[in-house]
Amino acid sequence: MLTRRTQLMRAGLAVGIAFCLAGFHAARAQGSDAIAFVRQTGAELVNVVNGGAPEAAKRRQLQQIVDRTVDVESIARFALGRFWRIATPQQQQEYVHLFHEVLLNSITNKIGEYRGVQFTVGRSVPQEGAVAVQTTIVRPNSPPTEVQWLISNVGGLPKIEDVVAEGTSLRLTQRSDYVSYLQHNGDNVQALINALRQQLAQANG
Amino acid sequence: MRAVIRRVPLIAVALVAGWFAGCAARPPAGDQEALQEYRQTNDPWEPTNRFFYRINRGFDAVILKPAAEGYRFIVPAPMRNGIHNVLANLTSPVLFSNDVLQGKPRRAGDTFMRFLINSTAGIGGIFDVAKNVGYPAHDTDFGVTLALWGVPSGPFLFLPVLGPTDPRDVAGFGVGIIMDPFTWVGQGATVTALGWTRYGMSAIDARERHLDEVDQITKTALDPYATFRSLYRQHRQGEIEKTREDNRATVPAWFPQPAPEAAPPARPGPEPGK
Repeated sequence: MLTRRTQLMRAGLAVGIAFCLAGFHAARAQGSDAIAFVRQTGAELVNVVNGGAPEAAKRRQLQQIVDRTVDVESIARFALGRFWRIATPQQQQEYVHLFHEVLLNSITNKIGEYRGVQFTVGRSVPQEGAVAVQTTIVRPNSPPTEVQWLISNVGGLPKIEDVVAEGTSLRLTQRSDYVSYLQHNGDNVQALINALRQQLAQANG
Repeated sequence: MRAVIRRVPLIAVALVAGWFAGCAARPPAGDQEALQEYRQTNDPWEPTNRFFYRINRGFDAVILKPAAEGYRFIVPAPMRNGIHNVLANLTSPVLFSNDVLQGKPRRAGDTFMRFLINSTAGIGGIFDVAKNVGYPAHDTDFGVTLALWGVPSGPFLFLPVLGPTDPRDVAGFGVGIIMDPFTWVGQGATVTALGWTRYGMSAIDARERHLDEVDQITKTALDPYATFRSLYRQHRQGEIEKTREDNRATVPAWFPQPAPEAAPPARPGPEPGK
């Protein structure tokens, strides 16, 4: 009786340890995958920015990289906060589309600023179902900037969920902006959509 | 100092005028999410803050921004860097006091050596020589010290001239001036003029370094005030965490070095330059 119980306990313990180890390995694999992904994506971005292609071609190349590596919809959804659920499905769709354009504009507008950029990849830290990868970005005539990339697994592919530069998060800052705008415009999602459309028209016109 | 005192009635009038703008409406108790948002934003004096935000924007558009643009246009980048380094070097005594009060011996050592090396080999602080011989720069102030001592930030404030801040950082700013030996050194018109020149140059230098970012935010944000509020808070929190986590050991070079804690998995082998 006693030996059976001991055996059971041993088996349970072994299974427990096995699960722990598997989990540990998975976390580590996720961390090194995320690091490899950031290194790869960063190298692609740096190549485009420092490359000799004309400005318009660079924009197109950057757009391709962003579309492949950034989870735009998730960031857009986060940036709308509690208003995401208030929005109608059509509004959600239109908002995500506009947000995508705004994000692309804000990234491609900085091509010139980032000429001569270099980066090093540091360690990774698990963070709320995702992995934060530390990088240091060095530009000529600027102090080095600490940038964290939040990477999560979306449908088997690693995607960028957030970029945190010197402690300031892209999606959190965007949310503060949009939520405050909505609060001052009668909680009306359509007002935000119109404002974004107008902003894009100004930027592209 | 006398100039500030003469301006006190003016500031008081502006404060009272701003006060009439009132307080932010608290959402009804039933709306849990809106209420949580209100607490997270922690900006109960938002209308007053927005009033001062507009005043500061006006002041910036007429005085500070043109000054910073002119400075960038006239003075070449290497010279601006030199001026920035001199101004940064002058903050070393305050920096050192705060490093000590925060209980960060390695940072205090960095600051001390930087002041020594840059004031001499760096010719009065023009060149940051210390950076290249193993004494990296960092920034801190008494606001960060208070945060590390556990003092909460309090609600968001936007003040004339000071800009985005909170009660903890206002206290930090005041104590920073009191801590600064240059506040107390010397007498006479020349010293006073030098002191104000330093404050003025610091403001123009800081504004010049943020010309592009501020332009970008005011152009792309739908609510720039809310964006600056969020950025200020996040940036301060980032600075506080960075200081808190900086626990590099202070071990003399000739003593057996402690093992580095959890080496980054991506870079096996010894770190370069060690």
